[in-house]
Amino acid sequence: MDTISRRDLLAGAAGLALTSAIGGTASGQAARTPKRGGTLVGSWGGFEPQALFVPPGGGSSPNMTSTKVLERLIRLDEDLQFRPVLALSVTPAADFRSYTIKLRPNVKWHDGADFTADDVVFNAMDYWKPISSGGALNALVSAEAVDKETVVLKFNATVPDFFLKSILAGRTVTIPKHIYAGKEMMTNPANNLPIGTGPFKVREWVRGSHVEYVRNENYWDPQLPYVDKLVIRWWRDPASRSAAFEAGQLDFAVFNPIPAPDVKRLVDTRRFTAVTEGYKNTAWALTTYFNTQREIFKRADVRRALLHAVDREFISDTIYFGRAKPATGHIPSSNSLFYFKDLPTYSFDPDKAGKLLDAAGYPIRNGSRFTMNIVSAGWFEENVKAGQYLRQAFEDIGIKVDLAIPDRATSLKRIYTDYEFDMAISNNSGPLELAPQWTQSYTTSGIVKGAAFRNASRYSNPALDKLVDQYLVETDPKKRQALAREFQLILATEAPVTSLVEIVSATVARSDVRVAANYADVLGESWAHIWLDR
Amino acid sequence: MLRILFRRLVQIIPLILGVIIMNFGLIQLAPGSFLDVMTAEQQISDPAMIERMRILYGMDQPAAVQLLKYIWSVVTLDFGYSYRQNAPVLTVIMQHLPATALLMLAAIAVALLVGVVAGVVAAVKVNTIWDNLISLIAVFFFAAPTFWLGIMLTILFSVKLGWLPVGGMRTVGTEFGAIAATFDIARHLLLPAVSLGLFYAATYARVMRASMLEVYKSDFVRTARSKGLPGFQVVVIHVLRNALLPVVTLLGLQLGTVLGGSVVIETVFSWPGIGSLMLDSVMSRNYPVVLGVLVMSSVVVAVANAAVDIAYFKLDPRISAR
Repeated sequence: MDTISRRDLLAGAAGLALTSAIGGTASGQAARTPKRGGTLVGSWGGFEPQALFVPPGGGSSPNMTSTKVLERLIRLDEDLQFRPVLALSVTPAADFRSYTIKLRPNVKWHDGADFTADDVVFNAMDYWKPISSGGALNALVSAEAVDKETVVLKFNATVPDFFLKSILAGRTVTIPKHIYAGKEMMTNPANNLPIGTGPFKVREWVRGSHVEYVRNENYWDPQLPYVDKLVIRWWRDPASRSAAFEAGQLDFAVFNPIPAPDVKRLVDTRRFTAVTEGYKNTAWALTTYFNTQREIFKRADVRRALLHAVDREFISDTIYFGRAKPATGHIPSSNSLFYFKDLPTYSFDPDKAGKLLDAAGYPIRNGSRFTMNIVSAGWFEENVKAGQYLRQAFEDIGIKVDLAIPDRATSLKRIYTDYEFDMAISNNSGPLELAPQWTQSYTTSGIVKGAAFRNASRYSNPALDKLVDQYLVETDPKKRQALAREFQLILATEAPVTSLVEIVSATVARSDVRVAANYADVLGESWAHIWLDR
Repeated sequence: MLRILFRRLVQIIPLILGVIIMNFGLIQLAPGSFLDVMTAEQQISDPAMIERMRILYGMDQPAAVQLLKYIWSVVTLDFGYSYRQNAPVLTVIMQHLPATALLMLAAIAVALLVGVVAGVVAAVKVNTIWDNLISLIAVFFFAAPTFWLGIMLTILFSVKLGWLPVGGMRTVGTEFGAIAATFDIARHLLLPAVSLGLFYAATYARVMRASMLEVYKSDFVRTARSKGLPGFQVVVIHVLRNALLPVVTLLGLQLGTVLGGSVVIETVFSWPGIGSLMLDSVMSRNYPVVLGVLVMSSVVVAVANAAVDIAYFKLDPRISAR
């Protein structure tokens, strides 16, 4: 099979970003005036969502379909600047216990109703806090509409500026009060045909095929969106997406839409581009959890020894075809705020792993040191291969391995409900802000039986918890970074949960598709800034 | 004949009940529940929220109560509600059913046409180069994985030649009149129906050939020939008609799969059918949709079998005499 190395992909991608405008810097595009009109056909490396909008989030697919219609207050760009969307400004009080939100005036919902401060109050108290923010807004006490365009959020603790803005630019889209208030949110018919303030209105959703959006003629920014029509179409098979690109039936697809070997082939034709920008705020990793409640794996020296037996370069280059790179900590290196290079790492050294295990009291007796069971969550093809690779790697140092690669539902149950594993392979993902999405995979409060993507190791360390708690209320950005470094240092030393490799996500597009913005999360932004240079 | 038909239709009731109870049991036995999948996908970790969803989904009740409720909902022809799609199960199924039925009927039509013609030619030209060639092609299409065949046909006809669209059922984002829309769907249907149809055609061809050769040896064929009837007439009227029985049996079996769809072909061609819905529903343990599809499939199987029985009577009057 034709393989490309990670360096080729990244180098190719970087080079192309300069020549073509996809996801490139805003300055590179300033010279060109965006053209209006046309139909953009988009897709992504996954399947159709269960509903176009799923109130608690629902994962990448509904996130992609809903954010074209439902807007957030602000958005985050790759240069770490928050840009106004529905809010013109979000300003902390001097004590960081309340925030004043100034809303954009004269915004209308797609059904013609006015968007006002009442909508934001409803969202904050009845939707963001209890449902969509995943517990991040637990300190929120009240939301008050001061006037039609001003809302004050009050908290019972200090709330860091970046933290709050990151939440407001993240999983908290704004939904219309007049459609959702007083009804069961999960089964509201509007979830299948959302009504928002965004640049696109839903025209038709043909289940199993595509959703068609049309330009919102009354959008608050009369310049946007650039395209007249947006179609999000789903192909269940990556090879079919390549074929669709080549046949001219697909323009723009995010989150690794096509098989890795096809990326190079398509880019070489010069009719397509592939870039890796646009994923800073949704980084993914291949994550392993050790079960710290089990006899052998409750010992940090054993966990560290095992990590020395894993060749992360091999996983990146062979299992991910170069679409991943070895991780050097729990947080991906794309996180320019909270990634630290100088944390302890575990080089690939099977001899050292063996010696460490000898020293830990697990020498090879009757042909093996001990037996461990690995559960690899079978939702990604790469997890299947990574499980098989880890079995080999551990057998090489004299450990017997029972490997199970169950389907989605069984994996969730075994890893996050029954904790039935010695080592689990899963995937963590999260935004730039560490709390709560990244931190809950190792804090004591993150141990929630039955809640997926939380602390499956059941690792509990009061010293680390204390640092995370301080980090949550610290408002000085420099001190927050210092705290983050401190608890990541403990995490890297204790190694209950580890990112083995960082997944590099790529966007593939026709070379005449331009993006006049540098989204930090290209999948979850409105795509109003995308235009067709035809 | 009417009595047999009636008996067949009455048999559907225990069949459906069995289908429901067995599959409900299987889904309950499978590790992981619908609630696990939904809370994981929605990234819910708040125990209070999980409890709220458990009650919303009716999963706070014992399995037996859930089963009885489901059976009652089938009796009242309301197939329940799918929280995953946020719509009634019947609506969800009906959104996918026409596409699947169209694809499967087209595929079976292709299979029948190609398979029967190939089988007849092979039997007439038995042990010639034609016979061998047809056998070889049949084995090829039977052995070639349908997903591979689908991708190869797509690359040739859609990417290289640009004649046909890549997947989907309709051209997205354009408005058509009724005639143009039919033509558009036909263009999208061609490749998936052919890829799937050729796979089935291989079986038909082999069965048809064997059956034709069997009938050729009969006395009445020799008699017909010795009467001096033209070869074509002997083949079509005397041999073909009598050789059709096994093919009709096979057809009846395959009609039963019409509702099941083909997950593989639907995946390769992004055909908005029921196969992918079933796959997703099984993976997410969404039993109302799984059971809904299976109940409807069992009705179709029963009806198709009744239809095949009637076809037997027409093809071979000896059967009804017995």
